[in-house]
Amino acid sequence: MSKILIGRYISGNSLVYKMDPRGKLLATIFFILIVFMANNPLSYLIVTVFSLVAVAATKLKPKIFWDGVKPLIWLILFTSFLQLFFTVGGKVYWRWTIFAVSSYGIENAIFIFIRFTVIILISTVMTVTTMPLEIADAIEWILTPLKLIKVPVDKIALVMSIALRFVPTLFDETFKIMNAQRSRGADFNNGGLITRAKAVTPLLVPLFISSLETAIDLSTAMESRGYRGDEGRTKFRVLKWSKYDLVNLGYFAILIVLLLVFRTH
Amino acid sequence: MTTKEMFKVELRDLVLLGFVVAIKVVLSRFSLGTTVVHVSLGFIGSVMLGYLFGPVWGAIGGGISDFVSSALFGNQGGFFIGFTLSAMIGPLIYGLLFYKKPVKIWRIILATILVTVVVNIGLNTLWVHLMYGMDLKAALIQRIPKETIVPWIEMVVTYFVLQAISRVKIRR
Repeated sequence: MSKILIGRYISGNSLVYKMDPRGKLLATIFFILIVFMANNPLSYLIVTVFSLVAVAATKLKPKIFWDGVKPLIWLILFTSFLQLFFTVGGKVYWRWTIFAVSSYGIENAIFIFIRFTVIILISTVMTVTTMPLEIADAIEWILTPLKLIKVPVDKIALVMSIALRFVPTLFDETFKIMNAQRSRGADFNNGGLITRAKAVTPLLVPLFISSLETAIDLSTAMESRGYRGDEGRTKFRVLKWSKYDLVNLGYFAILIVLLLVFRTH
Repeated sequence: MTTKEMFKVELRDLVLLGFVVAIKVVLSRFSLGTTVVHVSLGFIGSVMLGYLFGPVWGAIGGGISDFVSSALFGNQGGFFIGFTLSAMIGPLIYGLLFYKKPVKIWRIILATILVTVVVNIGLNTLWVHLMYGMDLKAALIQRIPKETIVPWIEMVVTYFVLQAISRVKIRR
């Protein structure tokens, strides 16, 4: 019934799957900054080839990656067009009031298109090859330095894992409540603005009340199992670095070196 | 107030925070409106975070909701710390204006306008500019049409949501 798929993880066992989620997450985060070093056609070509190789290394069907780009394709095209008309410089081909198409504009539009696409591709590689729980563990690991400024990282990790665990449950709950209200005449898709705004309440209040009840139950259960705060506890799920992470790191280092050499300084 | 006091929270509230974060993630997959204007319901989650947990834990919850939805659904447009910051500042503003305060129309109008201007128009435009090297003016023009319509819808929804949630809080 629910059209919304939870989790984008697709199982597989290529090289990318064997890499540590921490390394993959760091690489994804830094990739966005690295793409910025590209500033001429050759460096953009390098970035494109790099991401396509990463996509190929997952050994998944191209359709999966197209599905990642598809929801954003209009935004990407629209953004590229705006960039086309608003960048001035170089040879001007066409001009009308504040709009102009110039050689610089065309180049920029193509660059933005590539940048958008490669960032989405690399992010898709990350989410498709890593289980949500692993991503959460990786995020927790990345947040660890915040302990130095007394940020309650363990509490944040607890909240994150509870939320992660209960998103599917609450999805089911939401659909159930919607159907229950519909069966008694509630209409979530018709009427004017105020009617629709009001229609949110019969959905939200039961959802909130059931969350409140489950939260009380869960915290009681946690306390009865001896949970006394986040400090001084051991970890059952532990992440381990392996030799595959050297591949990840090496590949990334090669990209940085290539970009440093071939970008326009 | 020391940092320890600022982050002090009971286990039950911490667990409830996890649930409200989950609610925010679920709601942001739904949208309200006609074929022309789509309003994602995620902002309701931000309002709940700010109203129930205040600016500090609300902001933390907002950040976590960004992590959780990235982990589950992938971050549309890539992992970028700026959008996490945006997700934190929304509940922070709602928390400053709604937390432990009576529901008033002027608060709702002020909070929604502040969130729209600071987060949606200001920061998110800046992130797109930084992330994709997009021209600031072009990024703004792209955003303005939506952001002139959506806040008014959000205000109406926020009003009904706060009314409803405050009733539940009293019952507890």
